Amino acid sequence: MEFLTAGQDMPLMDKLAILTGAAKYDVACTSSGVDRRGSGSSVGSCVASGICHSFSSDGRCISLLKILMTNECIYDCKYCINRRSNDTLRTIFTPDEICTLTMEFYRRNYIEGLFLSSGIVNSPTYTMELIFRTLFLLRRKYRFNGYIHVKAIPGAAPELIRQTGFLADRMSCNLELPTADGLKALAPNKHRKSILTPMRQIQEEIHSNRNELVLYRNAPKFVAGGQSTQMIVGATGESDYQIMSVAQGLYERFELKRVFYSAFVRVNDDKNLPVLPGGPPLMREHRLYQADWLLRFYGFKAEELLSEDRPFFNVLLDPKEDWAVRHLEQFPVEINSASYDMLLRVPGIGVNSARRIVAARRSGRLNFDNLRKMGIVLKRALYFITCSGKMMYNTKLDEDYIVRRLTESKDRIRLGSDAMTFRQMSLFDDGAFQADVKQEEKIHTVVGEV
Amino acid sequence: MYVYRCEDTQESIFTAIYNVYEEHRQREEVRLEITDEPLLFAEDIFVETDYAKAGRVAETIIRRFGRQDCHSISYALAADNPDKAQAVYRVIMMGLKENVRHGHLLDNLADDNVRLVFSLAGYTGREYDHLRGFMRFEELENGALYARFAPRSNLLPFLMGHFADRLPAENFVIYDEKRKCMGVHKAGCIQWYLMMCDENTGEPIEHNRLKLSEGEEEYSELFKWFCEKIAVRERRSLSLQRKMLPLRFRGYMTEFGNN
Repeated sequence: MEFLTAGQDMPLMDKLAILTGAAKYDVACTSSGVDRRGSGSSVGSCVASGICHSFSSDGRCISLLKILMTNECIYDCKYCINRRSNDTLRTIFTPDEICTLTMEFYRRNYIEGLFLSSGIVNSPTYTMELIFRTLFLLRRKYRFNGYIHVKAIPGAAPELIRQTGFLADRMSCNLELPTADGLKALAPNKHRKSILTPMRQIQEEIHSNRNELVLYRNAPKFVAGGQSTQMIVGATGESDYQIMSVAQGLYERFELKRVFYSAFVRVNDDKNLPVLPGGPPLMREHRLYQADWLLRFYGFKAEELLSEDRPFFNVLLDPKEDWAVRHLEQFPVEINSASYDMLLRVPGIGVNSARRIVAARRSGRLNFDNLRKMGIVLKRALYFITCSGKMMYNTKLDEDYIVRRLTESKDRIRLGSDAMTFRQMSLFDDGAFQADVKQEEKIHTVVGEV
Repeated sequence: MYVYRCEDTQESIFTAIYNVYEEHRQREEVRLEITDEPLLFAEDIFVETDYAKAGRVAETIIRRFGRQDCHSISYALAADNPDKAQAVYRVIMMGLKENVRHGHLLDNLADDNVRLVFSLAGYTGREYDHLRGFMRFEELENGALYARFAPRSNLLPFLMGHFADRLPAENFVIYDEKRKCMGVHKAGCIQWYLMMCDENTGEPIEHNRLKLSEGEEEYSELFKWFCEKIAVRERRSLSLQRKMLPLRFRGYMTEFGNN
């Protein structure tokens, strides 16, 4: 490691600044998926739902100590701040420094655990070994029992990935760009196949570990929190439909726990990267997360939400509303008799609301007043539901009408009137597109809510 | 009308429920109050907390409705609401009468009492989830950890359980400034203790006079630095930050500089 000695005797404060700054573009910061009580002698426990310890000024959750081992890198990916050709200060943490920081932060309840990623030093295998050594020290010497999320470095020796997996709670392997072409254009040193290989390996190890746990209850757990990945949105020309199809494939074929989407931030000036005058595509990222939820918890398929002809999400309507107004033949839905799966497809009714409705209607018929008190968003749902055969207001089951209502900034609907107004048409009249998107972006940018 | 006056603790309210049952009162003629508000044409009955009776009630709740619903009721009773005792009483009576299955006590959200208990439990649960993360410890001179907070619901017992499990090898104290009580955990012990402070004795812990350890400043500075560096400038959104981390928690948090 001769070439790194320059950065090694830097004060801890500076190292932390550099290696945090270099890790911040990775979006995965969840501490979920593992429920592990304290062991009574070691330090730490895990909670299945994950715990957010703070929120930074961009509104993203701080759950884990998210750092790179080193920002030294032999690769030259065009979108990455740590690429070889960038002239930035390079440094490296020693395993002991990482362990001490994690332990001291954890004691004070600053963090839920460690998120360790790294630039590639020397070779992928060498880097993976550094990561493994750190994790081994943290688990065995410092007896840390909290959450650890670690990167599997594509191209590293499989045995190292396997051994690291027994120490980590979650492993991730970033797909970076949804298509092989995009990867070729922006990350010349990475190949789709080399990224998918460790992903498949981790999936298979999880399976065989599960069988082992059936036989031996105390066998060590392999990546108990499952694996995740991340895709950059907006750096290359992929459509939302392509991204969602890839995500669906990953959930189905690789059994991933989460796919994260990261709005592209232009950190390098490079002729191959798009210029984004309006900042990162946060609204697009938000819609992708919404659609991701629909895939995972609502029983939707990517092909239902988008198609080759309509490859992008509507900016004004969320994916579920968008689906519902295009499938009005399935509505209205009767709250007191509809199946759980159908309730889930109603805009304004989420997983919790649907469960509550199914539980509550056992005790008696529900009316709109009950629904409102139970927390159903009637403002969105009222166009799609009936209670005992009646709709809430006198509304039409008509696509244009509902779209106009849903995108209206103020809810002007009143009992007994359909609130239709007439106005002079103008040359620049484009109906729904008059809504203020900026404002919507501000309110809805629930990004990084991970 | 009989008004059972109890203290604002789970044990006291459970004792009242036991007494109501023991004295064969009709459901309609009973009201459980935790405030001192007088009621017209009502007979006041003052409840003396009896831990054995409270334990019996808790056992019954677990046996009939399951652990999950018992947990929800505990959360609801920890909330800061004057009507919680009455609502919990009515919900338990309803559940016993209708013989609901385990985990289904709070299903019927169309009922006002059920909905109140459900929403109070949810409120307390959310605050608990927040505070598990937002609580900040400082290391004192002798190596013990110290945290203070002022939650809306009485969350100290729940949080003590969480941190005793998480940090078994630490001596730590959590002080609830609003209710003037503290939880104490001794290193290596499974148990922890709650200490109620008398209102007359004044502040039991004077925060400014506590001496912090040598390393404390270094690590709090490092963490502040980390929080600043982890933010992506291009995505800056203070309103989103405020939505996810309300201002009322920040007074006690290291990274916002007020600890």
